[in-house]
Amino acid sequence: MTKQKDSKGVVSAEETLQGEHRKVYLLGNPNCGKTSLFNAITGERLHVGNWPGVTVSRIEGRKDVDGKILSFVDLPGAYSLTPASPEEKIVLQNMGLAWNEQVLNVVDASNLNRNLLLTAQLLEIGIRPVIALNCFDSFSAMGGTIDLKLFSNMTGCEVFPTVGRTGDGTVVLSEYLAQGKTAALPSEERTCLSLPEEWQKAAEKVLLLNGGKSWAASEPLARYDSIVKLTGRDTSDEKLTLVRRELAEDLSKTLNREVREDNLASELAADRYRRIGCVISATSQVPEKQMTPLHEKLDDVLTHRFWGFPIFLLIMALVFWTTFSIGNIPMEWIENSFAWLAEFFKNVLPKGLLADLFVEGLINGVGSVVVFLPNILILFFWIALLEDSGYMSRAAFMVDRLMEGMGLHGRAFIPMIMGVGCNVPAVMATRILDDKFQRYLSMFLIPFVTCSARLPVLVLLSGIFFPQNPALCMFTLFAINILVMVLLGHFIHIFAEAKSPAPFMLEMPPYRFPTPKSLWNLLKDKALDFLVKAGTVVLAGTVVIWVLQAFPRQVPLSFDYKAEVAAYEQTLDGEELSSAIQELEQRKTIEELEGRYIAKIGKFFQPVMAPLGFTWRETVSLIPGFLAKETVVSVLNILYMPMSSPADSEELSPEAEQAQVTDLGDAMRKNGITPLKAFVFMLFTLLYIPCIATVGVVWRESGSAAFTLLTLLCYFMIAYGVSFATLKIGQADPTFNELGVIFLGLLALAFILSKLVRAIKGSGRPGAACSGNCSACHAVCAPSEDELN
Amino acid sequence: MTTEIKLLAELDEGMEGVIHNIDLDSPTAQRLLDLGFVPGTPIKALRKAPMGDPVTYRIRGYEVGLRKSESSSIAVEVSDND
Repeated sequence: MTKQKDSKGVVSAEETLQGEHRKVYLLGNPNCGKTSLFNAITGERLHVGNWPGVTVSRIEGRKDVDGKILSFVDLPGAYSLTPASPEEKIVLQNMGLAWNEQVLNVVDASNLNRNLLLTAQLLEIGIRPVIALNCFDSFSAMGGTIDLKLFSNMTGCEVFPTVGRTGDGTVVLSEYLAQGKTAALPSEERTCLSLPEEWQKAAEKVLLLNGGKSWAASEPLARYDSIVKLTGRDTSDEKLTLVRRELAEDLSKTLNREVREDNLASELAADRYRRIGCVISATSQVPEKQMTPLHEKLDDVLTHRFWGFPIFLLIMALVFWTTFSIGNIPMEWIENSFAWLAEFFKNVLPKGLLADLFVEGLINGVGSVVVFLPNILILFFWIALLEDSGYMSRAAFMVDRLMEGMGLHGRAFIPMIMGVGCNVPAVMATRILDDKFQRYLSMFLIPFVTCSARLPVLVLLSGIFFPQNPALCMFTLFAINILVMVLLGHFIHIFAEAKSPAPFMLEMPPYRFPTPKSLWNLLKDKALDFLVKAGTVVLAGTVVIWVLQAFPRQVPLSFDYKAEVAAYEQTLDGEELSSAIQELEQRKTIEELEGRYIAKIGKFFQPVMAPLGFTWRETVSLIPGFLAKETVVSVLNILYMPMSSPADSEELSPEAEQAQVTDLGDAMRKNGITPLKAFVFMLFTLLYIPCIATVGVVWRESGSAAFTLLTLLCYFMIAYGVSFATLKIGQADPTFNELGVIFLGLLALAFILSKLVRAIKGSGRPGAACSGNCSACHAVCAPSEDELN
Repeated sequence: MTTEIKLLAELDEGMEGVIHNIDLDSPTAQRLLDLGFVPGTPIKALRKAPMGDPVTYRIRGYEVGLRKSESSSIAVEVSDND
């Protein structure tokens, strides 16, 4: 459309410059239906950024009203302008730009009281938002009524009742917005939500103290800063303390009670709610009780002290089962169709390097990306259902205590549990966490959750080296794995808490029926997001690893296999011939493999890995393990193949496979791999690195290559450290065998249990033992406080 | 009828009180104030999680779950009717 105008000439181009293009900043509390309103107004999203706060923290969309273009900026949800998280900081920063443009404050009509705090804060610093009273239908259904005209008069803001889910009211709203009145509120205009005289006077003094302009001449963010300084408790600035004292005296006179100068933050918050209360009681009838009897009954059952957990576990089991068992069916179809495609192109294309690259690198690579889709879609279907219905908050409420030990929010349980099935959808599921730090921490910890792809290595090697009790060996590995994860989370939490006290609060929204439309939108977004963003990374990685495995094409061989085969053909015949040829071919395969880049890299790193007791074969097998952990087994098989007496490959009966397995064991034992070393190798395989698909999603979801690299380095170092320690402990006991494993397992189990018991008892936590109002105690409990201020 | 000052964390399920004050030294104080936990606000403890923590509260017409570390920084006035 703009193009057409441009083609007409300069005049119309100027029109757009003169302000046909209007920016509208959307802000509101989390859960106020802001995003559904945004979707209802703009229809299709033009630009879907990452989840709020990841890299692009604003989502923009456009709407054309009578030839004027409204471009909407959807800011992350915020309870208050005073930021408690990086997301909310973004909201505050944007307000520095927004006051010259337009601000749309989405207010949940069914939760007016708390939602209007943000409105009050905006008006205090001179930003006049347009108010969308959202969820107006449920407000009316609850029996609420409101005098919109009076409300508009008292607040000085235009008010529009809207319903985000249906789009009701959005047409009138956008027509008003198209008029383009800016949000700047003239300082002489006062509303019922504006800052009281005493406060504004004091804030102006703070502004002037710091060499700023008068209140009227200052910009909103400067005003905001002055209020923050006024309510702060840092007493190092004497002049500021004096202003506070004067304000406290002024307030004491007006309020007719003692106001302490160190309690101004509390006074201001109370005053805000007093003003909000004034407006609400004058304009509206809000029903006393928001929760219906049905809601309470549901809560009684779903969060019941005894039934709550079993119900939660059942639901989780259902989510898990459908995601991974049902999800397996379409996954097999996808795998089969890609295998068919690969076969098809192999036959059609002329043999050569390009065909190999296309089939083995590209088609298999794309296949390895697409194969995750069923898991991701099913999991997100459930997440959307649980989230929209309101059950997610209840579940988080119940398991919060368990997650807290790892420094995680109760909501992080879904990603962590799903990690057992596959880390890739689990990392994507971290999006349900609002807090950036929480999201990063769970992304970092998820790869420590043993996914099903790591099982083949464990099953195979445990079977070979611990034939008496493979299950116990695996259990011990899991226990050590979990121990590492819990301890790591715990320490990061302790370390990070000193820096950012993420406030815990879990809003319990009313139970609702999810709409199919919102489900569909979410699933579509997730699928595209994964394919386009993570998919490209995974594909690139797959191709790179394939190249390493396939090049150089020609490896100089130690002797002429062809001539040897020809020689055998003349001297031997029958079975002897075929087995001799087979042996030769195997030797050729391994020699070729040794010549490829991947083996060269493995051998290059061998000195690093040698202290862990690995031979170069183990080291090399770990590299393709980056592609998918299952391949560790197959590479080990190939590398040890010539050393084992070859099993007849034509017979693929279970016994034959069994024979091959023990042969691999023999070969490994001959190379000096003891049960201890095998155990250490399995431990290392569990911990050393997540597969490339996981790395791809972590990169995309975190939006930070530095973070991703750092986590990879961490994993490697942790794996190395833990493996090395295990090896040394094992070597200290020369009789290391199953007994040693049992001992380690029991140790880990005892540690976890003791942690769990302590967590449940709730002892040793600063907040619990601390009497809340004793500042001396707090100084001990939270020594980091001072750093904060 | 007498009133007694307790920590919010000490309220049993179903008990009601009025917020007395908030420990401003607590790192989450500002957030709690913004959410409407200001002196004079009625609050009710609704239910405890199976492991005793967190606890949900009703305040200003909405429900919110707080951990003990947060609810220990809030003092409430509770009236005894016996």
